[in-house]
Formats: sequence, structure tokens, C-alpha cells
Amino acid sequence: MSYFFQLVVSGIVVGSIYALSALGFVLIYKSSRVLNIAHGQIIAAGAFITYALTVWMGIPIYLSFAMSMVITFFLAMSVERIFLRRLIGEPIISVIMVTIGLMSILDGLIYLTPFGTENFSFPPYLPTTPITVGGVSISWTQLVGVIITFTMIAGFSWFFKKSTIGISMRAVSDDQMASMAIGISVPKVFGLAWAMAGLSAAAAGGIIGNITGLNFDTLHAFGIVVFPVVILGGLDSIQGAVVGGIIMGLIQQFASGYLDGNWGLNGTGEVMPYIILLVILLFKPHGLFGIHEIERV
Amino acid sequence: MSSNRWLATGNYFTSYKEEQRIFTTSLDRSVMGVFLCVLFSWPLFFSIGNKYMLVVDNILVAVIAVIGLNLVTGFAGLISIGHAAFVGIGAYTVASFCRVLGDSHPLITHGWPPMIVAAGCMGALFGAVVGLPALRLKHLYLAIATLSFQMIFQWTINFMDFFDQGQTISVGRVFWVTGEVARNEHYLFWYYVILTVIVILGFGVRNLLRTRYGRCLVAVRDNDRAADAMGMHPGLVKVYAFGLAGFCAGVAGALHAYLYRGVGIDSFTLYHSINYLAMAIVGGLGTLQGAFWGPLAIRVLDLQVERLSEWAGSHVTAATNLTTALRPLSFGLVIVLFLMFEPRGIANWWRIFKSYVKLWPFRY
Repeated sequence: MSYFFQLVVSGIVVGSIYALSALGFVLIYKSSRVLNIAHGQIIAAGAFITYALTVWMGIPIYLSFAMSMVITFFLAMSVERIFLRRLIGEPIISVIMVTIGLMSILDGLIYLTPFGTENFSFPPYLPTTPITVGGVSISWTQLVGVIITFTMIAGFSWFFKKSTIGISMRAVSDDQMASMAIGISVPKVFGLAWAMAGLSAAAAGGIIGNITGLNFDTLHAFGIVVFPVVILGGLDSIQGAVVGGIIMGLIQQFASGYLDGNWGLNGTGEVMPYIILLVILLFKPHGLFGIHEIERV
Repeated sequence: MSSNRWLATGNYFTSYKEEQRIFTTSLDRSVMGVFLCVLFSWPLFFSIGNKYMLVVDNILVAVIAVIGLNLVTGFAGLISIGHAAFVGIGAYTVASFCRVLGDSHPLITHGWPPMIVAAGCMGALFGAVVGLPALRLKHLYLAIATLSFQMIFQWTINFMDFFDQGQTISVGRVFWVTGEVARNEHYLFWYYVILTVIVILGFGVRNLLRTRYGRCLVAVRDNDRAADAMGMHPGLVKVYAFGLAGFCAGVAGALHAYLYRGVGIDSFTLYHSINYLAMAIVGGLGTLQGAFWGPLAIRVLDLQVERLSEWAGSHVTAATNLTTALRPLSFGLVIVLFLMFEPRGIANWWRIFKSYVKLWPFRY
């Protein structure tokens, strides 16, 4: 039974990281209707910047965590400014393909640095002995990661619900023409959405890097695994990202905990989200919390 | 209008039948004929090394795959981020026969033409299954569906004993009427086979686009509600587009398997899917000739990048993994730059060039 609870706990940990990764994705989709396929690369960049600041420049880790969030904030904003601003009004298909190109570019840039091929890990700064309650253990890095995740998600939800900028972002996602008419600068909103996505991606990157170590393949895989999460939760819902993330994390942990090793199966945790994604697309495409605005054709 | 089809300076169509002709002028037809003759005969006059023949074959295999991708992304307007997986389905169809029957079973060595067709049908089947969400959804979700198919495909190959965990499964040497195809003729032989397949597929697709089965793809891309009102079933049309793309990809995969005499997962990853997409974009989405320009341009770029990084590697000692870095970087840049500055691709340059030549010495 404690095995079961252990799986539940690690599922929630993994799931909350998925939720944080998906958050940035949802932010971009929510305001500008762009599927950002390069999100995993931004997550990886955030993690590597945190590492470089901490280890190579000797800045305390909490400070460098915050600094990398600021850096990716501006990085993502400039990405939007350089590449996506000229594509406003172009068909959605070319915008998605630009993000695919962007993914390739960021891949190449990261391979130019030592992070592309080598593995690094953060110096330990938290107690290394895990907390154990009733046979279920959780490490300090995981605990801190979950706490940061939920704080950030709560912050973003509040931001979208209450603040003026958040409300104007929702307005833009609803109707660009109408929001322009009432004086909202649509390009500014797009830039801000990307910037905030970059910020949350850096946070996700830092947390993942702390838990799993810095490996480029692992990190950018998070950019692809957010697809099942956001489809399950609904593409434009922050709560959906949280619930979807946690459900996906649990499914993944249970799959690898109970299916691997039986019937000659291996690595089921990696593939289960995508199988579920295909099933959801067939039966409930707007997800759990998405708006039912999908046009049937 | 000019009744002499040799001297026509523009398109003076008086009937729909005329507009739908494959060759608008006789000059077009003869240029195409000469071009095909050159393609089929140049290996008789020049002999190039196996290394370069492999590059040529490689480009041609990519052309077949990109014809398929162009059908689904260019003509039907659905992004497919899993095209390499469909190519892989074709290759692994051949590979699974090799695993079951042994790699030099007569079915594989003698019966390779039906084998290639079977691989194509397998690709079409998987394409249609992955396209099934199209019955309910629009392009954005379909892109995600194809992406997840790519992931599922990679996992299946990587973790199944039957596919040797993605390691290379060898495919036997094939037989032609003159006997076994020898090592030094291997690439030349497959050059002719692939070229023949391209000619068949190219004319097939060109003709398809003249019939209602091809034009419905374009109709659904341009406005699916209008297409619905005109009596098409947009969802089914999209599934059908995925099926067609899967067929071309499957054929390309089988040819890839025979050409390299082996199948390994390394050739069918997400990276390759993006590569195919880059080829389709650079060539020109929604044009048939784009499927020829794109692979050529991207492969040449690839070779140049390789040479550049070799050259740089000999000068800079720290640059150990320069190729792995420069490849995605150059593809990404090419995709983004083309989408930003020439969304209609190289095919558009060709169109501009053609009209310049046609109207010379006048500007318009």
C-alpha cells in the first residue's frame, strides 16, 4: 500500500511540474492563439541560465533563479518581437510552423553551448535527506518545487482574474478587433504573454533541473509532454493546466509503476500521455475545462 | 487566342477542359520530356562515386515523402509534425517481413515491387487512423495528433523486441531480371527505381489534382464550411488527405529501407519530421514542384553545413559537436526566414523566372 502512496506522491510532484510547464504554453495560447512548439526549449534555456548564474558566476541559487526568470522574460519577449510580430494576421498554420522553426533554432543554439551534450546537476542547497511520513518519502527539492509551482499558478490565476493587464489579455484572446476598439494594444499584449510564458518556463526549468538534473533531452521533452496535459485540461484554461498536469503525472507514475516489467512492457510512462491524448482528441477534444468553441467541420 | 500551342504567350483558355490540361503549351510538354530524358540518361554518360549517388538517391526518397507531406500540409492545409513516423511505418513494414521471414527471403529480394506498394498501403492505413480526429477537429488539434503519433511510434520501436529496440534491421539484396543487384550497382539500380516511382507518383498526383478527388482537398483548405455547403464531407476529406500522405510516406519508407539495406529508428525521429516540414516549406507549400525543390535545397544546405562545420572543426579545437549544433540551427533559420519573407517558397522564384523568360524583353 505504501508503494501506491509513493506513486501518488511522485505523481503529484511530476504533475505539478507538468502544470507549471503547461502554464506558459497556456498563457501564449490564451492570448494569441499560437501553439508554441518551442516551449520545451525555453524551459531548457531557463534551467541552463539558472545553472550558469549559480555555478559559473557564483550567485546564490535563489537570486539566480529569480534572475533567470527575468532574463527569459526578456528573451521570450524579444522572440515574439522578432519572429512573431510580423506574422500577426497570417494564417495560423504558418504561425505554428514558425514556432517549429524556432524550436529548431533554439535547439541549435543550445547545442552550441556545453549544455547541449553534457549533463550537469545543481549543487545541493537543501537538506539531502528526504522527508519520510508513513513509508512515503519526498525529497526537499521536490517539496520546494511543488510549493513554488502552486504559488506561481495561484499568482497567475489571480493575475488573469483581477489585474487590468490580465483582463485585457483575456479580452484580446476573446476578440482582437473589439479589444483594439476599446484601446488595448494587441501587439503589447502578445509580447507580454510571451514574456510571462518565458518567466514561467524559467521557473519550470529551474525546478525540473533541481529534481532531475540538467540534461537537454529530458528538459526539452517537457515541451512536448505539455501537449497531452493541455489537451486534457483544455487549451485555454489555467485551472485545466493544473488538473491536467496532475492527472497526467499520476497516470504516468502509475503506468511506469504497475505496467513496466509486466507483459514485456517498458517505459510505458513515456508513451501513456500520448495514447491518452489521442483518445481525448477523439472523444472530448475541448478537454476538461476548455471553452466549447471548437468548430465542427 | 493563339491557335498555335507553340507560340502561346499567355493563358487564353476558352473552356474548363483547357484550363485543366497538365501542359498548357507544347513547349511545356517538350521541356518536361527532355528533362525526364536527361534524368534517366545522365548516369550513362557520367559515372559518379557511390557516395554522391547515395546523396542523389537520398534526395529522391525525400522527394517522395515530401510529395505526400505537400498533399496533406500544402493542399489540404493540415500540419503534420509526424511525417517521419509515417515514413518509418513504411520502412518497418519491410523490416517486419525481414524479421519474420529472414532478410533474404524471396518475397523480399524478388518481390520488392509489391513490397513497396504494401508498405505504401500500410502507411495509408496508419495515416487515415491518425487523421481520424479530423472528423471532429480543426488543424490545430490535428498537428498535436500527428505529434503524439510520432511519439507513440518512436516508443513502440524503441521498446519492442520485435523491432530490435530500434537497432538496424538488415534488408537483403534485391534481384532484378539480370540476377542479384551487385554492390557497385546498388545505388544506380535504386536511382532508376526511385526515379520511376517519382514519375509515376508525380503524374498521379498531378492528375489527382485535376479531378474532384484532388480539388476537394484545396476546397476544404480554403474554406471548409463552403466546401461542406457544396456537398463535400470536410472531415472525411481530411482523413483521406492523411491517407494519401501516408501512402507516399510509406512508399518512401520502403525505398529508404531497400536503399540503405537496413532500417533503424535513427532515420525516423521528430528531427526528421521537422526536416520534411522544412523541405515542404522551402520548396513551396501547395505546389507540386515545391516537392522537388525543397528536398534538393535542404539536402544541399545540409551538405554545406556539414562541410562548414568540418572546416570550422579543423580550425577551432573546442568545436567538437558543431555539426549537431549547426544543422538544427540552419534548418530553423531556413524555415523561419522562408515563412517570413517568401512564404510561397522556391516554387515562387521558379514562377517569377518563368514569367520573366516568357515576357522578355517586356516587363509585363
